[in-house]
Amino acid sequence: MAQGGRGAGRLFLVPMLDSTARRWTLTALAAACVAVGVFLALTALGVGRSTHHTDTAAPYALTPLATYLPQAPHVRSKVVVESSQGAVQGASATPAPELPPLPASAFATPIAAYRRYALAQLRATQGQLVRLQVALQANDRAAAQTAWSNAFAGYLRLGAVYLDGQVALGAKVTALNKAIDGTPGGLAHGVASPQFTGFHRIEYGLWSGAAPRALVGYASALAGDVSSLARLLPRAPLTPLEYATRAHEILEDAARDFLSGADVPLSGEGVLATDAGLAATEEVVATLHPLLKRATDVTGAVDTELATLRAAMSNVAAAHGGRLPTNTQLTQQQSESLDGALEGALEALSQVPGALETEAPPQTPQIPSRDVRIDP
Amino acid sequence: MSPLDRRAFLTRSAVLLGAGGVGGVGALIHGSDQASGASTAAPSAREEWDVSQAQLAARNQFDGIHQAGILTPTQAQATFTALDSLAGDRGTLEATLRALSRRARELTAGGPIPLLEIDDPPVDSGILGPVNTPDGLTITIAFGASLFDGRYGLGAQRPRELIEMPSFPVDDLDPAQSHGDVLLQICAHQRDTVAHTLRELLRTVHGSLQLRWNIDGFSGAARGPSPHSSARNLFAFRDGTANPPTSDAALMNELVWAGRGEPAWAAGGTYQVARIIRQHVEFWDRVGLSEQQNMIGRERASGAPLGGTEEFEDPRYDLDPDGKRVPLDAHIRLANPRTAATANQRILRRGFNYTRGFDAAGELDQGLMFVAFNQSPERQFATIQTRLNEEPMIDYITPVGGGYFFAPPGAQGAGDWVGSGLFAAAS
Repeated sequence: MAQGGRGAGRLFLVPMLDSTARRWTLTALAAACVAVGVFLALTALGVGRSTHHTDTAAPYALTPLATYLPQAPHVRSKVVVESSQGAVQGASATPAPELPPLPASAFATPIAAYRRYALAQLRATQGQLVRLQVALQANDRAAAQTAWSNAFAGYLRLGAVYLDGQVALGAKVTALNKAIDGTPGGLAHGVASPQFTGFHRIEYGLWSGAAPRALVGYASALAGDVSSLARLLPRAPLTPLEYATRAHEILEDAARDFLSGADVPLSGEGVLATDAGLAATEEVVATLHPLLKRATDVTGAVDTELATLRAAMSNVAAAHGGRLPTNTQLTQQQSESLDGALEGALEALSQVPGALETEAPPQTPQIPSRDVRIDP
Repeated sequence: MSPLDRRAFLTRSAVLLGAGGVGGVGALIHGSDQASGASTAAPSAREEWDVSQAQLAARNQFDGIHQAGILTPTQAQATFTALDSLAGDRGTLEATLRALSRRARELTAGGPIPLLEIDDPPVDSGILGPVNTPDGLTITIAFGASLFDGRYGLGAQRPRELIEMPSFPVDDLDPAQSHGDVLLQICAHQRDTVAHTLRELLRTVHGSLQLRWNIDGFSGAARGPSPHSSARNLFAFRDGTANPPTSDAALMNELVWAGRGEPAWAAGGTYQVARIIRQHVEFWDRVGLSEQQNMIGRERASGAPLGGTEEFEDPRYDLDPDGKRVPLDAHIRLANPRTAATANQRILRRGFNYTRGFDAAGELDQGLMFVAFNQSPERQFATIQTRLNEEPMIDYITPVGGGYFFAPPGAQGAGDWVGSGLFAAAS
């Protein structure tokens, strides 16, 4: 950013815009200031191949800036845009967090409660996997598909299984999760790869015409991996940051991987998978409620939006005779209601990690002065 | 009306159309400030073109030692089109590629559209008007590994490292959006120029080369603060900051142009890595700014490396061995560690943003048409990509398509064509 802009106390706009464009530019700049929290200056440079009229206009002052009050219902917090006067630019210009950091120990009870929940889900999944193995042995495709769907949803009710890969145990859990829930996308030989195992390998077989009995080996390996995970999970590390982030990201994964259909291309069980992610999120948020109390605006929005998503999910199930439909069975209206409620919930949930920080954001050190070597 | 009358009527119209066309040419050639068409009145003092006429008239050379569209400064608009060959034999393929280059040369040069028989389909779709303005157009033609399979007897001349793009661990490649026999990269300043060019080139090759995948791209506008400031990608970060300078011919010989170890015809060509990288923008927008900046390694607003103040500042990793300033797994640090050992791994990026509707979950399908030109994908692109396998940013992106291609050296003037050296060597 131009050095000349620092502390100048006003924003210079490209002096070539008509009044409508200028209004839009002001709006955009105000929003950028909110997001960045730093002074932002544009100069008139750099538009060598201008497509605009060349009226001249005086540099436009943008102080004082207004209070920014987002209209979206799930973003309740009010952000006051500071005047650019005296604002510091650069990576060190980190605005003070709204709430003081929480002690890490405050997360002990929520995480312990989540571990109990996760283990219960794993046990339920193990039961479903027994049914799956029985159905596969019997070469009963319909029963095997039902058991697969139930077991898959049971596993996803854990919420995302990503832990700190730097810790040995965390890396083990991550590797197990890959074997259980990995997709063929990044594998060298795709669905033919020997590393393609677990739920998605069985899904591939069950929905692409393979003999169910031929999948028994995959199912027993899957059951073994789930049992291993159940043994490791009570001891696996889970930091406050990972746990708070999980409140947001379980449903991000659901939107990206499941409701989109990307990771369940054959079974189409993306709605069921999203419902499982919602259940996990509801559990995580419930355990965090005592800590979120201090951020009433966030908590209120999260509760409202999660309830809206739960209601949308129930309406869709009711319209399909009590069972959640596959992605392709959704009508456009049902699809829009689920997508919209999910996006609304995600906007609200994205405020959770910031409200639960255990340490103030560190100040970024500056690059040492330029008297030393500078590469071109 | 008798058939004769109808023909006479059409001929008269053709004369009028021709006259209009000539008027258009005059306006262009003389740089007239006169609006074509409805009014011949001089514009008022305050009236100006919405679009720079000088830019519309800007012309790149199709012919040259190297193809255009590689070192050429990135235009505002692009389309990438992969084609599969249906040609039954090598002669047909050769004739098709010859015609492709000829038409590409014409379109790159621009000029008035010839008028033929009025009862024939026009020789040009005409969507740019009676005169095709060059508009900074470049057409870059590249070949995929599959063109060197058994069909045309080209296998012995395959560039040494031209393989089907492997699936990297972060990838979820859709075969319908991946690979292909021929890749056309069409870039210009205006969208209509790009749309027109693709249509015209496809007319030339219909029946022999068939669409496999296509994606439109655009550049972020030059919004400063300086004319050299890199434009932003759809994660809002500046992209291309660390690109090697294209003005450094010696460096381009080290990093971009193929030569040593390659079949003789390939010298002066380059490997083109094209990857359609979906960016999960809603997710990204819901991540804290400091986390975004730590994933990239730069400050979002200025583009400066973390702890710096200016976009092109050296991040000085040598003074930050523990990643206290720029995290060790930050994108810019993994992509280009700026060490002596990694200097020859650098690539020339020439990507475009894309937007194309939304997915079944109602999330926008936006991303980056990543393009890298490099001398050796093994030494350069794939090495970098492997380092990036574990970067935190992978949760927010999904590479869904693209491929490895080889852009042969440029054609040497009228009569020559892109790929002629390959076919001569293979015959």
